[in-house]
Amino acid sequence: MFSLPVLSQVLINGLSLGAIYILVALGFTLLFGIMRVVNFAHGAFAMLGGYALYYLYGVYKVPYPVAILGGALLVATVSLALERLVFRWFYHKMFQSMIALMGLNMALVYTCVMIWDVSERSLPAAAEGILDLGGVLLPADRLVIMGIAIVVLAAFWLFVTHTRHGLAMRAAALDVEIAASQGVNTGFIYKLAFFIAIFMTALAGGLYAQTYALSPFMGERPLMVAFIVVILGGMGSVSGAALGGLLLGFAESFLSTFYGASVSAFVSFGVVIALLVFRPWGLLGKPE
Amino acid sequence: MFGKTKAKAVTFIAAMTLMAGAGAQEQLKIGGIGPLSGGGTAWGLALQRGVQMAIDKVNAEGGLKVGDKTYTPSLVMYDDKYTSAGGRLAADRLVNAENVKFIIGPIGSPSVLAAVGVTTPAKVVVLSNGFSNAILKNDAKAPYNFRALVSTVEFGPPMVKWFREHYPDVKKVALVAPNDAVGQSVVPQLETYYKANGFEVWTELYDRGTKEFTPLMTRMMAQGVDALDLNSNAPGEAALLLKQARQTGFKKPIWQIGGPSVDEIMEIGGPLAEGFVSLNVFDFSEPVAQDFLKTYRAKYGDGVLNAQTPVWYNAAATLFEAMRRAGSTDVTAVRDALEKLDGYETELFGPMHWGGTADYGVAHQMLLKFWMVQVKDGKQASLGALMPEQR
Amino acid sequence: MTDTRKPAAVRLRWIAAAAMAVLAVLWPLLSANTFYVTLGTMVVLSMIGASSLNLIIRTGHISLAHAAFMGVAAYVCVLLQIHLQWAFVPAMLAGCVASGLLGLLLGPVVLRLTGKYFVLVTFLLGEIIRMVFLEWRSLTGGANGIENMPPVPSFIDTPLSFYYFSLFVAVLSIGIVWRILCSETGRAIDAVREADRIAECSGIPVIRLKVAMFALACALVGLQGALQVYLVRGIDPSGFSMEVSLGMVVMNVLGGMYYLIGPLLGAAFMVALPELLRGYVELQQVIFGITLIVVMAALPGGIIDLAAMLRRAGARALGRSGS
Repeated sequence: MFSLPVLSQVLINGLSLGAIYILVALGFTLLFGIMRVVNFAHGAFAMLGGYALYYLYGVYKVPYPVAILGGALLVATVSLALERLVFRWFYHKMFQSMIALMGLNMALVYTCVMIWDVSERSLPAAAEGILDLGGVLLPADRLVIMGIAIVVLAAFWLFVTHTRHGLAMRAAALDVEIAASQGVNTGFIYKLAFFIAIFMTALAGGLYAQTYALSPFMGERPLMVAFIVVILGGMGSVSGAALGGLLLGFAESFLSTFYGASVSAFVSFGVVIALLVFRPWGLLGKPE
Repeated sequence: MFGKTKAKAVTFIAAMTLMAGAGAQEQLKIGGIGPLSGGGTAWGLALQRGVQMAIDKVNAEGGLKVGDKTYTPSLVMYDDKYTSAGGRLAADRLVNAENVKFIIGPIGSPSVLAAVGVTTPAKVVVLSNGFSNAILKNDAKAPYNFRALVSTVEFGPPMVKWFREHYPDVKKVALVAPNDAVGQSVVPQLETYYKANGFEVWTELYDRGTKEFTPLMTRMMAQGVDALDLNSNAPGEAALLLKQARQTGFKKPIWQIGGPSVDEIMEIGGPLAEGFVSLNVFDFSEPVAQDFLKTYRAKYGDGVLNAQTPVWYNAAATLFEAMRRAGSTDVTAVRDALEKLDGYETELFGPMHWGGTADYGVAHQMLLKFWMVQVKDGKQASLGALMPEQR
Repeated sequence: MTDTRKPAAVRLRWIAAAAMAVLAVLWPLLSANTFYVTLGTMVVLSMIGASSLNLIIRTGHISLAHAAFMGVAAYVCVLLQIHLQWAFVPAMLAGCVASGLLGLLLGPVVLRLTGKYFVLVTFLLGEIIRMVFLEWRSLTGGANGIENMPPVPSFIDTPLSFYYFSLFVAVLSIGIVWRILCSETGRAIDAVREADRIAECSGIPVIRLKVAMFALACALVGLQGALQVYLVRGIDPSGFSMEVSLGMVVMNVLGGMYYLIGPLLGAAFMVALPELLRGYVELQQVIFGITLIVVMAALPGGIIDLAAMLRRAGARALGRSGS
């Protein structure tokens, strides 16, 4: 079983899984890094992104690039209202934010159940066909996701390192009071960070819904994944999210293919627990 | 002026009389238990809607005529959240607070087993579903429980035989299922049926909630299997398994002894679903199926019709027929009439039978006809009807 | 402030506690309907879990694995009866010892983490334990659980006797928690929660205290587990999932974490309310979610805080000097 074709397939599968996991975790780690909020409603925002894409791309047949960006923008814009109403009260209050955002998650999910019914829907794929790379198969829609992951990561890195607002965000993440005293408009920066985080989450949600299925309960799995990736990589670290996503993708691909699903689950959880006990700030995070 | 008042008075009196006459119809509460929140909601809604449709039909015909009384049935549906504690509380409430004597549901074994702890001592008839044998097979011989849906024990053997006849080249079958109550019950059962028919079997259970099966499919293909059986997977997961199997390069036959998930598989799999074989509760080309679908759409909109809906409709309709034949709503009389309904021509499924004595010790398993269907050119083609063995 | 010794505040809590006790004892007699007795039993059992979790929360740790420990005790209790023919009460106590020992074993490892890291590690721990229940089919029956439960012992085989026995066990368990929280140890716990480094400097063995409380809480919740599986006549992993642990945490947070009566109120609220509001399931969930948000934003100390706020508002209205 450990032959070269199988190993190559495992590698490609791992890359494609890693891409999805990175996208799902980015928004989560950003919110934590800047506002110290553990967003338990993360999955719900991903799910909303899925529904936005469903309507734009599946129902109204808007061209794909416009649909995917537009859907995420739509969700992020509408969510600014939630930032005013809910998130604002819980910045830097870790424990209250957890419970309150769990409440927000429930409210959002069941409102969607009332609006859209529980049955799973499917979205049309971004690209049809399966690529054959010398015996190793890669579905075209997974390739699209990998491409989008790279673009998003690159865009975000450019933003934080080369723009004024990006640098302001990093300053606020390090120490919000000093940043404010240096003239950074922290209120605006928080809203901007929130907007970007939800944008990325909704984008990931749309892709997730396309790859798998769309339902109001769709967000549970992305939330779990985001948690694990961010613990691995370090809460608040974007490069950590990238590393954690890749690690998790490869580990799952390797372990599930060669040893089965339950071994994969046990090992992943065990490793994460060990990491939390010995190095809770993750591989690329900073000790607090 | 005078004429108008007289007309009003007459109308008023007529209305009162009509109301009084209508009030002479007694209320008959039918209890329903199923998951209305959380992961199992689709099935809970299927139960609620199926039973409600049966009730609507009876009421549209003027009520349920039992003996010399006419009843207006109504559904009292409670959420069990798909857990045993929920099933227990819902049953307790229906039996003790609402004085219900007939319950349809619950759906999952833990919930059913918790509920019958209340309903059997209280002598309440229960028409439920659940893969566990203990629902029917117990020391008390399940005096008041009936299973309204066929399980793998019923449709497994005839389907495995069918596959043996139609796919002579298949030697090794892969059984992939979720690691939950359903998967853990069904996979061992199917394994015995396959082996009894000369197949080799490879099994793998995955964590429920997973939607990414590509590593699993790679693993499966490395085992050299000749066919994939989607067995007890929920429709969403079954569709993703098929799609991802094909995307990983699996070209051998894929079928499902379970489901039905044909609609979801065609929608999510698209052209990749070609050749897929499964069972379905209906031959959708038949007029009776089309009528049911039309009524459902008129009331509940355009969502996917969960395949359990017509079966729960049938359960309620069969219960009503048993009441008519018993001539009363006394529980023991209805229970006896229900047991004698073997051969009764149901509206949707043709003649129903009771079976299960060999497997459970008591003949309270409803046996209904089902269809083998195949996806051909993007449409469901019926390959013929099968009947579970009456044992 | 967590420990106001103002006479009015203390008297109010005593009155509330006494009222609850009277209601609890008279509850089954209020209605001929056994459904309400079953509901009452569920509320009482949930109070055991919520109050034991309060011990852990008072030390400053939020555990999402509490239901998993409950499951360990429940499985041990049932398996001892089935395979070794133990009687019910000894098996129940053995189950509690098992979950307490597990807590003692794991405590020193996980309690070194604080805040969100502790929440995450207990979340994963709970999941691993639940996966063990699910995978070890030969012992636990897997996802279907153990369906042929041993028969209910004769002294609790009617709804009424089961209720009073559960009440008795709950009072014992809550009593143990209360005694600890009111004692010197309780004050040490508060000190540890507020500022553990300083507490350590004043000589309190912080880690040892946290582990002791953790192990005790895990043992006590076993009482709920052992009794609850009899009530539902079956044991399966779904009763010990993260959702159940989360429910226990919410009972504490909603009711009020810093007074013992908080989790008791929270348990009553969370178990009884969905039953009394049958119907409109989705809307209930939405309203519940919004309630959590509002309570967390406005009343971080839970509903008990509401009582304190009302009292202060009342005092101001009456012109008395503030409390």
